[in-house]
Amino acid sequence: MSQQRHRQRTEAAPVLTVENLRTEFQTDKEVIRAIDDVSFDVHPGETVGIVGESGSGKSVTARSIMGLVDDPGRILDESSIRFHGEELVGKTESQYRNVRGSGMTMVFQDPLSSLNPVYTVGNQIKEALRLHQGLKGKEATERAAELLKAVSIPDARRRLTEYPHQFSGGMRQRAVIAMALACDPDLLICDEPTTALDVTIQAQILELLNDIQEAEDLAIIFITHDMGVIAQVADRVNVMYSGEFVEKAPVEELFANPRHPYTQGLLQSIPGRGDPDERLRSIEGDVPTPHGAATYCRFAPRCPKAFDECESIHPAHVDVGDGDVVHTAACLLYPDDVPQEEALDVHRERESPAERTADGESPLVDENTPAEEKQ
Amino acid sequence: MTGTQHAIHESMRSRIVANYRPALLWVTVLFAIVAFEAGAIFNLLVEILQGLVSVYPFGNPFAEQVASAKSVSESIPTLLSRETIPNQGWQTSANGPWEGTFLGLEPMAAWLLRFLLTYAYAGVIVAWFAYGYRLYRRHYRRADWTPTDDVVRRLSSHSWGKFGLAVVLVFLVMALFAPTLGPTTSEQNIENPYSYTMKHFDAESGSVEEIYVGDANSGSESQGAGDDNIGPWSYDDFGRFHPFGTLPNGKDLFTFMVYGARVSLFIGLTAMGIMGVLATVFAMVTAYYKGLVDLSVVIVGDSVMAIPQLLLLILVAAVFNGHWLDSIYNGGLLIALVFGFTGWPALWRAVRGPAFQVSTEEWVDAARSFGQRPSATMRKHMLPYVVGYLLVYASMTLGGVIIGTAALSFLGIGIDQPTPEWGTAVARGQPFVATQSWHIAMIPGLMVVAVVTAFNALGDGIRDAIDPQSEGSEGGTSTAAAGGGGG
Repeated sequence: MSQQRHRQRTEAAPVLTVENLRTEFQTDKEVIRAIDDVSFDVHPGETVGIVGESGSGKSVTARSIMGLVDDPGRILDESSIRFHGEELVGKTESQYRNVRGSGMTMVFQDPLSSLNPVYTVGNQIKEALRLHQGLKGKEATERAAELLKAVSIPDARRRLTEYPHQFSGGMRQRAVIAMALACDPDLLICDEPTTALDVTIQAQILELLNDIQEAEDLAIIFITHDMGVIAQVADRVNVMYSGEFVEKAPVEELFANPRHPYTQGLLQSIPGRGDPDERLRSIEGDVPTPHGAATYCRFAPRCPKAFDECESIHPAHVDVGDGDVVHTAACLLYPDDVPQEEALDVHRERESPAERTADGESPLVDENTPAEEKQ
Repeated sequence: MTGTQHAIHESMRSRIVANYRPALLWVTVLFAIVAFEAGAIFNLLVEILQGLVSVYPFGNPFAEQVASAKSVSESIPTLLSRETIPNQGWQTSANGPWEGTFLGLEPMAAWLLRFLLTYAYAGVIVAWFAYGYRLYRRHYRRADWTPTDDVVRRLSSHSWGKFGLAVVLVFLVMALFAPTLGPTTSEQNIENPYSYTMKHFDAESGSVEEIYVGDANSGSESQGAGDDNIGPWSYDDFGRFHPFGTLPNGKDLFTFMVYGARVSLFIGLTAMGIMGVLATVFAMVTAYYKGLVDLSVVIVGDSVMAIPQLLLLILVAAVFNGHWLDSIYNGGLLIALVFGFTGWPALWRAVRGPAFQVSTEEWVDAARSFGQRPSATMRKHMLPYVVGYLLVYASMTLGGVIIGTAALSFLGIGIDQPTPEWGTAVARGQPFVATQSWHIAMIPGLMVVAVVTAFNALGDGIRDAIDPQSEGSEGGTSTAAAGGGGG
């Protein structure tokens, strides 16, 4: 929290706009809706965090944006992913390929397995350079060495000729970031890039990402399960639970004033934050596997504040921020400045179109749901 | 690692320039070895060219040039040619000296000398390449150790695999040096015996007489009963030596076998090449795209597997009768094509698993995420992991194709007469198995068994060699990959 940057969202158009993203995996036995109605946007130079437990759908969100959802997964038709205003949903594989790499690229969780062990690091960086900048031979080697230097790898020239196994974990992740930078992207999706690293290296990588972002005005989507990392890197945070965003807020607001019971639970389970004499709190149970559209609150079974209506009404996002801070939560407890019955009505009213979609009566282009994004 | 920064940036070429003596010596000796057989190599190239030209369906525009090239190639002296060490000769009297053979030796000795020299020559070449690999490791390779070293070491301590390799090498030499190894040639003895004459000492008339090879053949038949048998390692009445005896029609079985090895190898390699390419391409594509693509290849593959190969071969043989495709290698190419296009699903299934495994690796996703083309991703990031498996299964399938071809010829389908094929010899000898002419079916049968076993043994050896988990666990591991080592 100490080095929190205060970035103002610029008036410029967002790099990426995701609206009503729904991704389903259809198997013989069941349909799993891994992502259900996720909406957010990313502006240039900004870091948007997505935080949640294992299995909440963070990685599928990233892969959906990259168009890397493999069979049997598919993105439902009413979803919209716009990159620089260009609609990506429905593009063919070869059309998508032009967007990948040149515009947006991804850093994966495990730096050992995202580098091919049989090629030198230089070879792999040059592969990306040849694809995106048409560089070959000496030129490509020069540029690759520059990139390795840019990610603070010393003795870059020699390192280029080495294999991934000769790199340490942190260096490998730097090399992967260098590969991503070789594509000269506007948007970088980091899928738990520091999870496999120890904390000191983690801090260095986060620092590095921060520097690169400032130098290149890069937009970053940062996915992690670690609230501490989110506090350090993100400008805005989306809390994800069972395929849905349950709370969206600027990072400081989220930590100071968590509204959704799930977010509150997450924050209480960070060691060292609460009362030192008290036992560390945890959220009992696991993330449920979502099948189809929800007609109830998916967190209700684990929620300490759940009441009867949680089982029958699907909560919509409502504004819970003070003043002009953009802060929404999807919980039946809010809005809390009106009587509860009235609050429930708000959710019922907002959710009815979504329920219709679930029943398949009318495929609708929903203009109300992402209202909070349009402020 | 002692490499300084300077040393690391050297290329292979600059390393050779810096220390050129061992490389120069090796290449010089290699040239010297090859020079002994320069004529044979040139001749082989010309013959392949001739074969290609003759296949061309619209006349043979270059026939003259090729024929003149052939005569040039035949005039180059070669160490192991029949002309240098001839074994076909005749006696001038009943127990008199031999004429026409090498140094007047008896035909058996002359042939044996040429036979042993040929294998010694092949042995020297193999050993020289092995020595070259060691030189490269000692002087020119940058790394002190690579995983390949372990593979070589494991293979060299795998006695079952080494047995396979040895027999396969013997088989390969047999096929490559067929004209040199036979006591006579296929052209003279098997294909056109009435176009060639030979001299022999006729005991009845007491003089040297010249007769057609075909007539001599009919005088040296192996028919099982009575005097009609020329067994292994014996002379016939015409002073010809037969290492493996003769066929029922008096033709030389050893010559038949060495040329048959060529046919088997050609069919095996061609079919293998087709299967390998199809299986690799399909494995890559199905593993990369999965889903519908995978399903359709599964369906196509299963349908192909459901076709009875034998019936298809009979059908193809009938349909293509007289077609120019059928004329290449007396139908050998056609058989190879049928085997290739019907055999790929088995091979594809074998490598599909490993291919799927690789396709889920994160570096494949990483390559996709920075926009690499699918074909390049498959080639660069997936294929290297499948090649090892492909090698193992290819080696085993090759044995299968050879035995399949032999079985077809046994049934009289496929390779037309008189092109020699091992299965044909087994079929011809079948009526005489229980007689004194047992050799006709027995020797080719055992050789088929030996070669097919050897290809399987080699496959086992390679599999154990490329699998690091098989290390130091002789029969200890229960992994599927380590099973069936036989040792």
